Amino acid sequence: MNWQSLKNSALCQPGEHRLSRRRMLGTVAAGAAGLGFSRFLDPAIAEEVRANDKQVILIWLDGGMSQLESWDPKPNTQFGGPFRAIPTSVPGIEVCELLKHTAKQMHHLAVLRSVCTQDNSHSAGVARINRGDPKDRGVVYPFLGSAVAKLLGPTSSGMPPYIWIKPYSGGFKSSDAGFLGAKYGALALGDGKPPENLLLNESISVTDNELRNELRAKFNQRYAVGRRKEWTEANSYVYDLAHTLMSREELFDESTLSDRDRERYGTHELGRHLLLARKMAETGVRFVKVNSYHWDSHGDNFNACDSLIPQFDKPFAALIEDLVERGLMEKVLVIVMSEFGRTPRINSHVGRDHWPEAWSIAMGGAGIKKGIVSGKTNAEGTFVDGPEHDIGHLFHTWFRALGVPPEQMEYDNHGQPLPVANEMCGPVEELLA
Amino acid sequence: MDGSALLAQFEPKPTGKVVEYQRQLFQARISPCGKYLIASGYDATVQRWDISGDEIKPLIPLTGHNAWVQCLAYIPQTERIITADSWGQLAVWSYVDESPTPIWKNDAAHDGWIRAVAASPDGKIIATGGNDFTVRLWSAEDGSLIKELPHPDKVFSLAFHPAGTSLASGDLKGIIRDWDIAAGSVKREFDAKVLYQFDRIQDCGGVRHIAFDAAGKQFVCTGQKTPGGGFSTGFPCALLYDWETGQLIQEMQVGANDDGFAYDALIHPTGFVMATTCAFPGKGFVWLWKPGEDKPFYQSNSIPNGRSISLHPDGRRLALLVSVAPNANGRQLVDGVYQGGSSKIHILEYAPVEASVPANS
Repeated sequence: MNWQSLKNSALCQPGEHRLSRRRMLGTVAAGAAGLGFSRFLDPAIAEEVRANDKQVILIWLDGGMSQLESWDPKPNTQFGGPFRAIPTSVPGIEVCELLKHTAKQMHHLAVLRSVCTQDNSHSAGVARINRGDPKDRGVVYPFLGSAVAKLLGPTSSGMPPYIWIKPYSGGFKSSDAGFLGAKYGALALGDGKPPENLLLNESISVTDNELRNELRAKFNQRYAVGRRKEWTEANSYVYDLAHTLMSREELFDESTLSDRDRERYGTHELGRHLLLARKMAETGVRFVKVNSYHWDSHGDNFNACDSLIPQFDKPFAALIEDLVERGLMEKVLVIVMSEFGRTPRINSHVGRDHWPEAWSIAMGGAGIKKGIVSGKTNAEGTFVDGPEHDIGHLFHTWFRALGVPPEQMEYDNHGQPLPVANEMCGPVEELLA
Repeated sequence: MDGSALLAQFEPKPTGKVVEYQRQLFQARISPCGKYLIASGYDATVQRWDISGDEIKPLIPLTGHNAWVQCLAYIPQTERIITADSWGQLAVWSYVDESPTPIWKNDAAHDGWIRAVAASPDGKIIATGGNDFTVRLWSAEDGSLIKELPHPDKVFSLAFHPAGTSLASGDLKGIIRDWDIAAGSVKREFDAKVLYQFDRIQDCGGVRHIAFDAAGKQFVCTGQKTPGGGFSTGFPCALLYDWETGQLIQEMQVGANDDGFAYDALIHPTGFVMATTCAFPGKGFVWLWKPGEDKPFYQSNSIPNGRSISLHPDGRRLALLVSVAPNANGRQLVDGVYQGGSSKIHILEYAPVEASVPANS
């Protein structure tokens, strides 16, 4: 990449990618802002929410998947591109031919085609979309995964509440948690692999291990004296998460995969990671985020989509099929999104640039209406035709779908009451079952 | 002839004649008779102009395709042209008619995107290929299917050998296959893998064009060396091969790694390679390179973003198609209107040559 030549470009700047990556890799320590509590304005609802068994799988296609080559095709129009629109399992709803497997699962899904967001840069867009675009109150809001981990807590499975399956490195990523405190960060499984040294060393007996844990607990108590609770709590919490996973090593054993799963999910990165996401949901992880990077197709977009989108399509369709088959679709909310869509205009490098003005987000499962498209764009797909919906509307929608009524809850950030979703927005009622 | 002598004779110079079209075009070719300039478009049309007079006159376009018409090719010995689109439609037209309608068409010649078409030198066979991992041979006369050749990968480019017995197909992964047309089998493969890369999670690149010299002794293919995803960076590159031995004669890499793809090329009757390159606005150039030299004897981006280049049969004129399509994040309205891309076709001119001129498709 010739970064120098991009400095004067109207496109994303190299520094944005660096900043964005730093944020996504979570090298910025979060949690120093304090410990965020959540409180219910109505105690009756609090009980209901705590009994909630809803879960989430969020699929984040970093860089921005083209809405025109996926959920909102505009065939044979100025900006439509080369691909055909194909029918889906829902009469009257069409998607791009690159989603040929997903098309067969459309009756389980909902697509919002009227998404209009604020940022056309990665650095601002990634954070704003993940945080739900709250009003600026001088605090760093949590990403959706951390928010759900906080508001709903772990499920009764005892599994970690927030797992992030991602390429590259793993570890505990506290940056997603914002003011909630490091404890609500994500346990990241780098390349879908378990944390290093997850399994107990053969030379350590069970008894020795118990004694070792007792000793560790004593050290932790000593360390905690005079230190902020949110820091010491996070330290021991991370250890406990790892300890929980130690008992679930079979989740990472690829030798037990069926041929059927290998065929449908594929052996490529995103396929493997979506299959692991299914397994995590099956075992009761409250929130699973799956990241795929390199969807930023400024050049040669259509060949890029021809290569990339099938890597999403087939395993995603398998995931939906499996969740339905296992009876999990009623309690697992599945979301597919990016930081923005891509420009209708096809540039001279046959690419599409960043386009927050009119794009699509797909979802399905818990609390979401099945087999619908909500909202629309104009004939050429350039702008939303009708009411526009920002990410704040979607956070309201998703919280409602998860049985967490945003208007009945608030965070308590050291006495500062904070709404859980942008109070200027409301849910997209049409999406809610 | 050395580089400076070649430059003196073949430096392309603008004539001032420019065709402007309000949508983007893929490929513009001058007809074998020299009267017509025909271009395929993103807008499902095939545009025509009469370039025989002092003024360039627009003619009635060929319509009826769906989505992108990425490729076209004249059928030798006839006044017909092949066009194909990204939804699988293939059509043959008389391009000299005032108001052309297809002589024949096939709405489902392929399942989806047809990326390449070619016509045999005797004008009897049409070859097509694209995303469905298949090359098909058709009767040029009536469109009946002659042969179906399963292809190991997506077909990006096709060219008949001038002898008419072989067909070269270039694919996404940088393999060029020499097909025995009669047997319907692959005789050998040429390695053009430098034009492909699996970059992180994406297949990138591909053999974007193939063109033989008139005698069929050499062929050139084009694309991008070490192509990447995202900004689609990589070095514009043409590879020149000896047909008989199968040996790579020369790798012709030009520019920087943000100069995009070499989309089009031809081998000039005097033996040099002429190619054009396109990337983001202002990037890409026309270059002329004599085999054996270590750099082009001509390279200019005075008219950047070239998508195709075509020689007039008079040996003096060229049609250079360029893309005029801004890149920018966000809405970037002009007078309140969201603008799409457009195209220009520049008529260039250089000194005459005596040898016959090959068509590059």
